[in-house]
Amino acid sequence: MKGLDYIKDRITAYVMRGIAGLTALIFLSAFRVQAQAVIVVMVLFFVTAVSLELWDYVRKRGFYRRLETALKELDKKYLLPELLEQPDFYEGKLLVDALRECDKSMTEHVADYRRQSREFREYIELWVHEAKIPVASLRLMCHNSGSSSQKMAGQLGRIDDYIENVLYYARSENAEKDYVIKEVSLQKTFGNVAVKNREALQVMDAELATSGLDRYVMTDGKWLEFMIGQLMANSMKYCSRERRLVIRVWAEQTDDRVVFHFRDNGKGIDAGDLPYVFEKSFTGRNGRENHGSTGMGLYIVRNLCERLGHRIEVFSEYGEYTEVRIDFWKNDFYKMD
Amino acid sequence: MNTILIIEDDRTLSEELSILLEKAGYGTERVTDFKDVLSQMEESAADLILLDISLPEENGEVLLQKFRKENDTPVIMLTSRTEDLDEVLSMSYGADDYITKPYNPTILLLRISAVLKRSAKNVQTQMYQDVKISLVSGSLIRNGMEQVLTKNEMLIFQILFEHQGEIVSRDELMTALWDNDEFLNDNALSVNISRLRGKLSALGIPDAIETRKKQGYLLK
Repeated sequence: MKGLDYIKDRITAYVMRGIAGLTALIFLSAFRVQAQAVIVVMVLFFVTAVSLELWDYVRKRGFYRRLETALKELDKKYLLPELLEQPDFYEGKLLVDALRECDKSMTEHVADYRRQSREFREYIELWVHEAKIPVASLRLMCHNSGSSSQKMAGQLGRIDDYIENVLYYARSENAEKDYVIKEVSLQKTFGNVAVKNREALQVMDAELATSGLDRYVMTDGKWLEFMIGQLMANSMKYCSRERRLVIRVWAEQTDDRVVFHFRDNGKGIDAGDLPYVFEKSFTGRNGRENHGSTGMGLYIVRNLCERLGHRIEVFSEYGEYTEVRIDFWKNDFYKMD
Repeated sequence: MNTILIIEDDRTLSEELSILLEKAGYGTERVTDFKDVLSQMEESAADLILLDISLPEENGEVLLQKFRKENDTPVIMLTSRTEDLDEVLSMSYGADDYITKPYNPTILLLRISAVLKRSAKNVQTQMYQDVKISLVSGSLIRNGMEQVLTKNEMLIFQILFEHQGEIVSRDELMTALWDNDEFLNDNALSVNISRLRGKLSALGIPDAIETRKKQGYLLK
């Protein structure tokens, strides 16, 4: 609240008062009142007007200044009503009451959506677990009925992957903390992903080369398994037609982190697309050439990494390779013992 | 013959599991009434229990915890939940392994036989005919002659040995190798098998492993 702006705002009142003063002066002179009496009346009139203005300005200034600083400093602006004291002038009270009313209604609104989103998510989780049961039964039926159903098993694998995607998408979008950070073996996690994809990899005659995976990182094992699974699915989807797919996976340890590398010799990513691969629904050049792209895989992976506190980066040269790197910070704070 | 108790409330899944296990040469029992699962677990003479986590009356984790107080029959938890917490909890309650649905049937069988092997109380030295299988030194010994096997060769030999007299498909061998973090391709498997044959014939048993066209291998 600035003095000058306050005066500008009140200019009409000043003009009106000036006119009233002038009119009074004309009347007083018309009635031939003594000059001294006129001066006394005029001074009284002026002094009262100025002091009233000053008093009003000062009491409002305190409140509005606090409001302005609070608004500037607050990271979450909607918390403003919580910080305001009840002012001692009428307009201020009106403003504060209105803000509090807005805040209350907004909170209710947000709570409503939060509840809806939580319920939806819970339903998704439940649905995923239920959908997995018939998939499991079908898998066993395929296996029990002999080798003729290999193809069906392959398609079941795809259904299962899509179901899993929904689950992790719901998890990555929600603020609830539903992961467990503990020491996870890179070897074991990668091994699980490899076994899951063995048939598909062998049909493609792909080669897996691993080294230095005998390390442990602080993360959620299931989430990491899902993330590596997504990287593996991408490598298989975007492999080069000219050469046989080779996936190299290794980890290295530095002072403060373990860096996990996942590199393939596939199509690569167009340089122009590279900055956007982690964005939602982005498919880019490879997406236009391949109809199975949803633009969700890497987006979900990035979100999960963010929530777990890992850093993820992608490097690529079109037609040559794609490499994804995940940094796991070494943080003793995580360790439970 | 080992008997396995299946505790799974989805009927189709439970039946298919039982077919799978019977085909693999196990006897099976199925729980169909979920009112008092704990006493059925305790009364059963099964050598291993497959226990689903989400059951109608009482949660599998709770059941396991109660069961473990008095019993040491190996238990493998089955679940469709994909949360690390469940795995950590189950293992701390005394589960011997933990498998998420939809499981790869071959891996399920491998895990079952691994758990059974671990829990077999009298681990005698394994003998194939007159060949001693030394897991400690990773070698085969016959008449004082020793052949050291690589990790892959040993894995292959053990699987063939466990199914002695039966055909083991290349696919099953592959799954087992991959489950042990050995990501071989088709060619490498053939190479490993021919090396293993070479070592067996150096011990004087050249025809131990038979190839069945389009079916797999068989250890006589």
